[in-house]
Amino acid sequence: MNKAEFIKGLEEELELEITLTAETDLKGLDEWDSMAAMLLIGYVSNEFGLTLTADDIKNISTVQSLIERIGVEKFN
Amino acid sequence: MGATIQAIEYVFPKNKVTNKDLALQFPDYDFKKFDDKVGVSCRYYADEDETGLDLAVQACEKLFQRIDSTTIDYILYCTQNPDYILPTTACLLQDRLGLPTTVGALDVNLGCSGYTYVLSLAKGLINSGQAKNILVVTAETYSKILNEKDCSNRAIFGDAATATLVSYTEEENFGNFLFGTDGSGVEKLFVKNGGSKYKLESNPELKMYGSSNFYTDNDLYMNGPEIFHFTGEVVPGFVEKLLEANQVEKDYIDQYIFHQANAFMLNFLRKRLKIEEERFFIDLRDGGNTVSSTIPIALKKYSQDITEKETLLLVGFGVGLSWSGGLVTINNKL
Repeated sequence: MNKAEFIKGLEEELELEITLTAETDLKGLDEWDSMAAMLLIGYVSNEFGLTLTADDIKNISTVQSLIERIGVEKFN
Repeated sequence: MGATIQAIEYVFPKNKVTNKDLALQFPDYDFKKFDDKVGVSCRYYADEDETGLDLAVQACEKLFQRIDSTTIDYILYCTQNPDYILPTTACLLQDRLGLPTTVGALDVNLGCSGYTYVLSLAKGLINSGQAKNILVVTAETYSKILNEKDCSNRAIFGDAATATLVSYTEEENFGNFLFGTDGSGVEKLFVKNGGSKYKLESNPELKMYGSSNFYTDNDLYMNGPEIFHFTGEVVPGFVEKLLEANQVEKDYIDQYIFHQANAFMLNFLRKRLKIEEERFFIDLRDGGNTVSSTIPIALKKYSQDITEKETLLLVGFGVGLSWSGGLVTINNKL
């Protein structure tokens, strides 16, 4: 999965009405809440086998920071 | 010699709270998405003067319309909302139900792993010849320990009570049970004040968590992402161990019935375990997450459609952190 596919998938998973980019601040989204956090954990776990912790969620800001947490090398 | 689940009844309080009702109080929350993903449409809250014991009495009396209450020789009462600090609520239940003074009665303080725990205790009491007809009761009123402004938890949790009769039978209908505990996760889901360690505060500080949810140290706090992480890490491996302990393959199980925490989380676990939808019970639309009552409610609902003997794998997980599960066989509508 490349970065663009990941971002598109995340947009669908969170049912966002705006277009996500690497620079979007996830926490600043109208849709961001504890349910969105749960959907995010589920999505990342399904795609990368990595279960994000509450600390990870706390530390994530932009989509890019999420990608870095997952590991940039995992995106082709 | 063995044990069997004979019958189950459950009750919700009368006060039904729909997503529409909650949306009036929390206008910014997306209840449409909540309904779709988390899978809860309504939950029930106990009245101000109604306790877990009151609900438990109703569930037991419903059960006694079908089974002979005079044969009961033991009460196992699972709750985290006891009516009093002391005495044990099971003692009060003996009196309220007019059961003989010869019964054994004891409380088990566990949450979402509670039902599978008490089933295993019932099995042990029967198989060791200490009791023959055990009244297994779960009752919880989390609505009383949730902050008024805690949208997420108010949306997820609901109150309920269940009564299950576990009896001695010739044939063994209980398989092996396993357990798990990680007390280091205590603060991920807890009520800090009100026990021996910290008194209830008269004017507690309102704290925000997640996104615009509020609680105080007198209320229930749940770190949703941590709990999600915990179940994702622990439950799939635990299910594999349960299958091994019972020497059965995944396909041997007719239905997987897990604690009904939240539909999204359950589907996540189901996919991890590669179990088809038809063999994995998800139904918390009416009632929400009722803590230790979700599995008996699910068992009751599921058993209405069975036509022959079925083997079910039950798994409870949550506050503690604690998890437990086991295999049971049922051959009738509970």
